[in-house]
Amino acid sequence: MGMDYVDAGYIAALVTVLVYGIGLGLRRRRWERAAKVADPATPVTPGGRS
Amino acid sequence: MWRDAVLVAGKDLRIEARSRVGLWQVVPFAVLVLILVSFAIGPDTGPLRHAAPGIFWIAVLFSTVLSIQRSVAIESGEGTRDGLRLSGIDPAGIFLGKAAAVALQLLILQIVLWAGVTFLFDVRVHVIWLAVLASLLATVGLACAGVLYGALSSGLRVRDTLLPLLVLPVLAPVLLAGSKAWQASLSGNAGSGTEWLRILIPFAVIYLVIGIVLYGPLQEAT
Amino acid sequence: MTTDTIPRAAAGPSRPRWLSIVGILGVIALGFTVWLGLWITPPDQVQGNLARLLYIHPPIATVALYWAGGVAAASSLLYLWPRTRSLFWDRLAASAVEVGAVFSALTLVTGSLWGRPAWGVWWTWDARLTSTALLLLLELGYMALRRVPADAAIRARRCAVAALLVAVDVPIVHFSVDWWQTLHQGGTVLDPGFHLHVHGSMAWTFLLGFIAFSLLFVWLLGVRYQVEVLQDEVGDQELDVSLAERWSEGTELVGVGADTSGAPDGGGT
Repeated sequence: MGMDYVDAGYIAALVTVLVYGIGLGLRRRRWERAAKVADPATPVTPGGRS
Repeated sequence: MWRDAVLVAGKDLRIEARSRVGLWQVVPFAVLVLILVSFAIGPDTGPLRHAAPGIFWIAVLFSTVLSIQRSVAIESGEGTRDGLRLSGIDPAGIFLGKAAAVALQLLILQIVLWAGVTFLFDVRVHVIWLAVLASLLATVGLACAGVLYGALSSGLRVRDTLLPLLVLPVLAPVLLAGSKAWQASLSGNAGSGTEWLRILIPFAVIYLVIGIVLYGPLQEAT
Repeated sequence: MTTDTIPRAAAGPSRPRWLSIVGILGVIALGFTVWLGLWITPPDQVQGNLARLLYIHPPIATVALYWAGGVAAASSLLYLWPRTRSLFWDRLAASAVEVGAVFSALTLVTGSLWGRPAWGVWWTWDARLTSTALLLLLELGYMALRRVPADAAIRARRCAVAALLVAVDVPIVHFSVDWWQTLHQGGTVLDPGFHLHVHGSMAWTFLLGFIAFSLLFVWLLGVRYQVEVLQDEVGDQELDVSLAERWSEGTELVGVGADTSGAPDGGGT
């Protein structure tokens, strides 16, 4: 008795940690890219973009 | 500090007395909650009587949120907060004053609700001192915690939706202890009711002290 | 510029190696916990297979309540304390609250998966269950407050106060619900039941579960912290860029011409 519940508990724990961990990793990568885009090698000068 | 508190409380209460928002909006809303919850529970007097203390405190809690929003809105006019901040009034005094004003309004509200509960659910408060004491202590806690959270959310554009989410879970112990104390005073069982004052007292004291200490820093942050 | 109050790491924080090692160790430890917990350890004499949930539920709850809660409360306090005020503490607190919310939710899920077969109900108004549920709601409230855009220092102070209020409230909730239970029902239904006759492999698995989830907590906290730093950094740079654009529009309108030398700090570096 109870093995279904045990399995469900383990699956819930593993999936949650996995999904959250991978999600965090992806978020970190996305923001790292955004940081690179927003911080270009050439400094933004007024009028330089137009 | 105390003089400042009286000043601020007087100001808030005068504004309330003139605008009558509390009287014409908050009190009817609280009575509405009583009626709506009764609809949800059903017309039998038995369950309604049993649930009466809980319904009473639910109504008080929701109305507290409204009162706090009103108390914040008073200060949200152009430059009002800066005016208050620059007036040299002690932040602790502002906190105590605003909390006192809210507390007074909540007490008046509870008297109306008391009548409402008696009338609608046919219940009688047997141990009056216990009910009054529980209400007084709970009101102090509700007002202090509420004003603190009001200051936290003031100046935010999403204030009206954020405040209930922030403050209602915090007020949960008051709902619990208040309902139990009232239940005891309705059933005439004073002994089990006084136990619950031992939660209401620390709650009131803790949020009173935190408010006095943290209201200053919080005010600077908005 | 005012945004210079925020210390700017050069183009994103480097990923420290110790953090990756902690993460890898955490995953390995978790793998072993699952393997030992599901296949190697014998079923408990009293609870049977259900006891296997106890290898993961208490560690998750410990992380949610003590590690995450402790880090969030302590770092909020350190932020409010003028001598130790630094955005580091603010970001750490925010990260701890988010990771804590995930673990609180997981505590509730694994708890009710244990409760259903053990007590016959998904939910009971036990002090620990109820205060964990309220903690989760309070954490969601904190995260909502944090999403409100504001100046970094203002947001930090506001959030630190909110976190402290939560830290004060949760023990009161726990205490009051505990009282509610004992006065109401004369003792809880669920004699907390962790009287395992732990021996041999079960004890080791139990311990390993704690280590695994604690390591994973440190790793998640670290990564979440990096995300927080990057977010702030990008936000600042976008602000700089838009300010520079505004400024240039202004100069064009006035007709001063696009003189590049007068740019307010430029966007980068």
